[in-house]
Amino acid sequence: MPRPRPKSPNMQNYRPQLTSVISFGHRLSGVGLSLGAFGLAGWLAAGASGPEAYGAAQALLLSAFGRAVLFLITLALFYHLCNGIRHLVWDNVRGLELREIYLGGGAVVAASLILTLAFWTWGLA
Amino acid sequence: MIVDRSDEVPRQKWPRRFPVPRNLGVAAHSRIADGKSWPAPKGAVPIATLRVYRFDPEGAAGARLETFRVDLDDCGPMLLDALIWIKNRIDPTLTFRRSCREGVCGSCSMTIDGTNWTACTRAMADLAEPATVYPLANLPVIKDLVPDQSHLFAQYEMIEPWLQAETPAPERERLQSPEERAALDGYYECILCFCCSSCCPSHWWNGDRFLGPATLLQAWRWLADSRDEARGARLDTLEDPFRLYRCHTILNCTRTCPRGLNPGRAIAEIKKMMIERQG
Repeated sequence: MPRPRPKSPNMQNYRPQLTSVISFGHRLSGVGLSLGAFGLAGWLAAGASGPEAYGAAQALLLSAFGRAVLFLITLALFYHLCNGIRHLVWDNVRGLELREIYLGGGAVVAASLILTLAFWTWGLA
Repeated sequence: MIVDRSDEVPRQKWPRRFPVPRNLGVAAHSRIADGKSWPAPKGAVPIATLRVYRFDPEGAAGARLETFRVDLDDCGPMLLDALIWIKNRIDPTLTFRRSCREGVCGSCSMTIDGTNWTACTRAMADLAEPATVYPLANLPVIKDLVPDQSHLFAQYEMIEPWLQAETPAPERERLQSPEERAALDGYYECILCFCCSSCCPSHWWNGDRFLGPATLLQAWRWLADSRDEARGARLDTLEDPFRLYRCHTILNCTRTCPRGLNPGRAIAEIKKMMIERQG
């Protein structure tokens, strides 16, 4: 009986590129935002169930850990938003030349970082 | 950082691969062991080191990476020349597909230094040291660098890649205006090397049902043909959550095409035509 054929490696060997890394980031930030939505629901539920629960939720959110999570959620939000706009452009069959793909990808990363930092610097003031 | 053309060799030194374990999700019979290291030929000065994937279906061992040292003074300039040199001078059992040696047949496509390209159009001077040479990613391996592409060709057959017309054939050829003919530019040149489908993460995870960039580019080639009259049926075949819509516009396909074509744009054109049909 012939031996089963091995499968050549895919992700274990293929080089990370801007194209795939930005796309994985889009999926990852989407998952993060979905989890964040549970957090938002929990925060609202705490607010609805009285001052004690709300106080506990606030304490958690305003701790260093809570702030770090909130920061990552805003980063995921802006990244997902900016890359979502890039997808809308693509859906009109525009911006699909290789140079535009790379420029657009760089712009998405830069814009999401700037928007996140601006939000935390001025948006919360 | 900006890439203008797919023939630009990836320059970034880090990361070479995703930070995942080598054997993440890899079945036991697909694991790759370290293999033989062949000595450098005597007296050779400019030497290139190639780490080549080997698998012998008749041997007892599994897949392994063997190290070859190539005498660059005794060998042609391209990776395919080096593989032929190894076969002639070091190990005659090294197995790979090749034919045209000028990038028009698509036989020698493989994963070179972690990206897909045809070995005959990749210069040895552009390789890393040591360089890695694997069979085309994500495919069952028949022997060494020869992958089994039957599934990819079965998917290609599914889109019925031939002209379909109800109207009786005219006495001479079916005519096209220069503009109608130009609509096929950038699509008819595909040589079915499957570099794109092999590096598409969507095809890695859902290749059993997602058709992949090579087949979808071909599907667009027939949808865009003014002489073809089966557009409705062709779109019906593609309108499926997996066959077409598993494409998430990752665009590894456009980055890797050895012919400089744009499967990503072809798929975007199909999605747009699908929307326009719905009105």
